[in-house]
Amino acid sequence: MKKTAILIMIMLCSVIALGCIGTDTDTKTDDNVNDSATPEVHSGTLTILHAGSLSIPFAKLEEVFEAAHPGIDVQCEAAGSAATIRKVTELHKEADVVASADYSLIPSMMYPEYADWYLQFARNQIVLAYTEKSKYADEINASNWYEILRRDDVRFGFSNPNDDPCGYRSQMTIQLAEAHYGDDMIYEDLIEANSAMAMVYDAANGTYTLNMPASESIDPSAKLMVRSMEMELIAGLDAQEIDYYFIYRSVAEQHGQSFLELPVEIDLSSVTYADTYRTVQVVQANGNLVTGKPVVYGITVPMNARDPEMGLEFVKLVVSPEGQQIFVDLGQPPIVPAVGSGEVPEGVRGTVEMG
Amino acid sequence: MQTLTPKHDRMLTVFLLFGLVILAFILTPLLYMVFGQLISNRSGLIEAVNDSAVIKSILLTMYTALAATTIAFVFGVPLAYFLARRDFPGKGIVESIIDIPIIIPHTVAGIALLTVFGSHGMIGDPLSSIVRFRDALPGVVVAMLFVSVPFLINSAREGFQSVDPRLENVARSLGASSWDAFRRVTVPLSARHILVGSILCWARAMSEFGAVIVIAYYPMIAPTLIYERYISYGLSASSPVAVLLIVICLVVFIVLRMISAGWRRYDRE
Repeated sequence: MKKTAILIMIMLCSVIALGCIGTDTDTKTDDNVNDSATPEVHSGTLTILHAGSLSIPFAKLEEVFEAAHPGIDVQCEAAGSAATIRKVTELHKEADVVASADYSLIPSMMYPEYADWYLQFARNQIVLAYTEKSKYADEINASNWYEILRRDDVRFGFSNPNDDPCGYRSQMTIQLAEAHYGDDMIYEDLIEANSAMAMVYDAANGTYTLNMPASESIDPSAKLMVRSMEMELIAGLDAQEIDYYFIYRSVAEQHGQSFLELPVEIDLSSVTYADTYRTVQVVQANGNLVTGKPVVYGITVPMNARDPEMGLEFVKLVVSPEGQQIFVDLGQPPIVPAVGSGEVPEGVRGTVEMG
Repeated sequence: MQTLTPKHDRMLTVFLLFGLVILAFILTPLLYMVFGQLISNRSGLIEAVNDSAVIKSILLTMYTALAATTIAFVFGVPLAYFLARRDFPGKGIVESIIDIPIIIPHTVAGIALLTVFGSHGMIGDPLSSIVRFRDALPGVVVAMLFVSVPFLINSAREGFQSVDPRLENVARSLGASSWDAFRRVTVPLSARHILVGSILCWARAMSEFGAVIVIAYYPMIAPTLIYERYISYGLSASSPVAVLLIVICLVVFIVLRMISAGWRRYDRE
């Protein structure tokens, strides 16, 4: 009897989950009007959808925000950046704040129907993370890492470039390494020889185009571990399934992993090298073209927000000195002041620089 | 079982009304998805049917789930019989262990499996020269087996419990060996339970996503492909694949249910 009850419970839960996905149709409510009519009443939940790599800083921000607004229950939901935005644009999920690991996804995927402004608020850099159990961990450094990754007994991972900005950025970093170290076989040896991903060099423009096959056809060899999100790669590293993986510095730091800082010319961290980064572009399976640029996070309040005013309050906290300190403490440099673009609301315009 | 007559069984009518609510609850999203697809985006469905990656992933899903069910059958049915026939201290604990895969989050199951079956894992390491689990077919099967085997064991055990041990004893007293008695008396009488358990096990294996993507993102099974299509191209690209999977599964399940209904005559009543 008990068994059947459990079974029924599980089936129910899965049906509920399915129902949420299947039936969330266009719910263009006029809640916004109601909210602006009664600005004083602020209680209930604030839904925040964010990139997986923001999980830990946003959990801290949630605490601070809830302390300042006792009536509000902040609910943070992490996913890959593209998945995060699709929750709003495809599933019509009402979100009060959306934060992406690549600010450019906001204009390209959400404009004009779901958002008309964003702030660039934090940076990150691509590092090579490992543990003390990783092979050759004692000899790896910024000048030999690609030689070590080439070794037959070393395995490494990155997230799926079709799904996750960290994934396509890792590809860019590996390609940029060729010019930096003067070794034009790095991308070929590490990636092309082990998967169906391919690079095309355009001599006329001096640009490298990395073409991503459909996710089901990436076909990684045993040397590579590709996953949709970094969470599964962390499991792979812990299980010694891989020795190294490309990840944001902040994530490696927050998970207590060792990491190798790569040269600034290839780690996508510096605005100074924007021209260098621009020489690499990735074409995702869906045809979307991403050009190399510094890692900059973006945040906005989507147009379907239930409580846009409180959403904006949260954004203000993110770009405030207090919020910025949280990012500093967690190894992720904030952009000071944040840079705004589009129809940035009055309430936050004073604290940002318009780009 | 009686056919429903509108006579005067008020209770059954009330029960039916409650039941219809839950039935509508299950059907609405599924029908919404299937018919929404047929009406608004039939070309997408045709594209999915003609997409070799989609068909390959669906066939792969059915195949790996069948492999998982076969393993579950070979090792699960004997355990189910043992549990149905013998009492021993700690039996409750064993039965709870069997249910653990139903209870734990599947991502956690995937991580645990990767730790054990990975190339440095307790099982994966000694086997690493023969078989690879991570991002390989055996990994998919292992993840599916882990989450689906409880359904087969529990159903088979209920089946064996419904067979009166005295029937086996009669067969034994007439000269049958215990193997014969099991094969010719117990199995036919509990066959429907075992089949239903196998169907549930197979179905659960086919739908697994969370545990599979941790240990074996490749080769890509249908649930992973649906997720990937959704992330890369959006709902309009993923829902045709989902609808196709729903329709194929539905047909297979209806056929299997019909077969198992035919086996009802072996039931104790």
